[in-house]
Amino acid sequence: MALRLVTRNLRNRISPKLCSASLLHSHATSFGFKEVREEEKSQMVGKVFSNVASNYDLMNDFMSAGLHRLWKDRLVSELSPFPGMKHLDVAGGTGDVAFRILEIVNSIRRRALQDPINDDLQEETRIYVCDINQNMLNIGKNRAIERGLGEAKSLVWVQGDAEALSFEDNSMDGYTIAFGIRNVTHIEKVLTEAYRVLKRGGRFLCLELSHVEIPVFKELYDIYSFSVIPRLGEVVAGDRESYQYLVESIRRFPPQEKFASMIADAGFQKVKYENLVGGVVAIHSGIKI
Amino acid sequence: MYRTVVNRILLSGGGRRLLRQPDLRTVISSSRFSTTTETQTIPNRPLNPPDSSSLSSSSTSFQTPPAAGDVPRHERKNPRAEYEGEQARVLQASLRHVLRLGWSEKAMIAGAKEVGISPSIVGSFPRKEAALVEFFMDDCLQRLIDRIDSGEELQNSTPSQCIYKLVRIRLEMQAPYISKWPQALSIQAHPLNVSTSFKQRAMLVDEIWHAAGDETSDLDWYVKRTVLGGIYSTTEIYMLTDSSPGSFPLPSRA
Repeated sequence: MALRLVTRNLRNRISPKLCSASLLHSHATSFGFKEVREEEKSQMVGKVFSNVASNYDLMNDFMSAGLHRLWKDRLVSELSPFPGMKHLDVAGGTGDVAFRILEIVNSIRRRALQDPINDDLQEETRIYVCDINQNMLNIGKNRAIERGLGEAKSLVWVQGDAEALSFEDNSMDGYTIAFGIRNVTHIEKVLTEAYRVLKRGGRFLCLELSHVEIPVFKELYDIYSFSVIPRLGEVVAGDRESYQYLVESIRRFPPQEKFASMIADAGFQKVKYENLVGGVVAIHSGIKI
Repeated sequence: MYRTVVNRILLSGGGRRLLRQPDLRTVISSSRFSTTTETQTIPNRPLNPPDSSSLSSSSTSFQTPPAAGDVPRHERKNPRAEYEGEQARVLQASLRHVLRLGWSEKAMIAGAKEVGISPSIVGSFPRKEAALVEFFMDDCLQRLIDRIDSGEELQNSTPSQCIYKLVRIRLEMQAPYISKWPQALSIQAHPLNVSTSFKQRAMLVDEIWHAAGDETSDLDWYVKRTVLGGIYSTTEIYMLTDSSPGSFPLPSRA
């Protein structure tokens, strides 16, 4: 897997307001390649995830050949968690990212010298896992129990909407959203909420399936997405429709540059993105100053 | 190095520097990471602050960092400078924790907490510990330049005395951190960080030679700087183990 840091200068891009507004509106009314009413999108997405919840992790492994684990590792190492941090993982239903963060924080504590300050901080670490879908949260809670984290005070499972978070302003050190922002109705609202809940110096990180531009690889990836994945969904999870939605929604999501400019519009600074596997996945990051 | 080359081209004969950048520190901090491929991709947007009377963003991209966190709310500085400014503040505060915590992320986290910024920002510094060491090196270079400019002690010295004094002044700036300096050297020697640390040392050595009045413009230019670089480095390393009377506390073996 080739990890490449790709940066472009957006100063030369011409994106008139009309164009961006229509693109965003089109995201709010798109359900994959279908057109739906804004109010309905959230419900339809909810149904998709209720259907896939039980096989979610298994299908992730199949579709990405296990690579999704590495991508999430990369996301969390970019975040550089520290003991005592308050972190919010949105659309983090089954808990993958949250478990990784907790592991790193615990290992820092184990490695640290006998430092009483750090031990107290370790107690203060809070990782909030927020998801709009209760089924996904339940799966996550069960996995936590399996790992022996059932009683951990640091993990808090919250049901909530990314567009209207129930957390206070300036309360989070970190905000991650992994493979979730594609499914929201209004991307800008999610970004604004993320900006609101982060403290000064807090980081926003988004891991998402994105657009591939490399010539031959792009064609192969398209074939894989549209032929193999829905079939895989049908065979393994018995649900072709949901996985059809998945691959279509990836294509409808704004490309890396556009999304990065949306993040900057929400007020974040030092916005950059990193393509993994040639653009199949991208990690966007920004800082609230 | 760049400044003196430019000066050499534009000046005629005189030894005075005319093209002084107003604040070398911000220049250095902005160009310091130029060896990495990471650059600001997106121009930062002005927010819609509730009480903005003027949304003027200044045209120069090099600004002095805001002092002690008091940025007047009606003034919109260049957002890029804001991030750089905050980064500089955090690193400056982290230096105070280095003796206790080493040149490490922990020191930077402590520094961030001290200035009231979430320690998450440390995660965004490129090559984290190296960022702290490089900031310190830039800071020392800036202080050395200030000493040179205030210039009293260098008035009536021969070039070699001048060099001796400047190297001594510069090394004494590191003295407070001598117990953790081996760690800093090892961070600078790391393959990822070597190019930046080499550049910083090259600039340092060039400054010292320039202050000593060097005006060669042939191969000797390189020879002189290389030799001084060698002398400086060996002195620095000797300083780590120097236990003669009146010298600095030994580095701890911890």
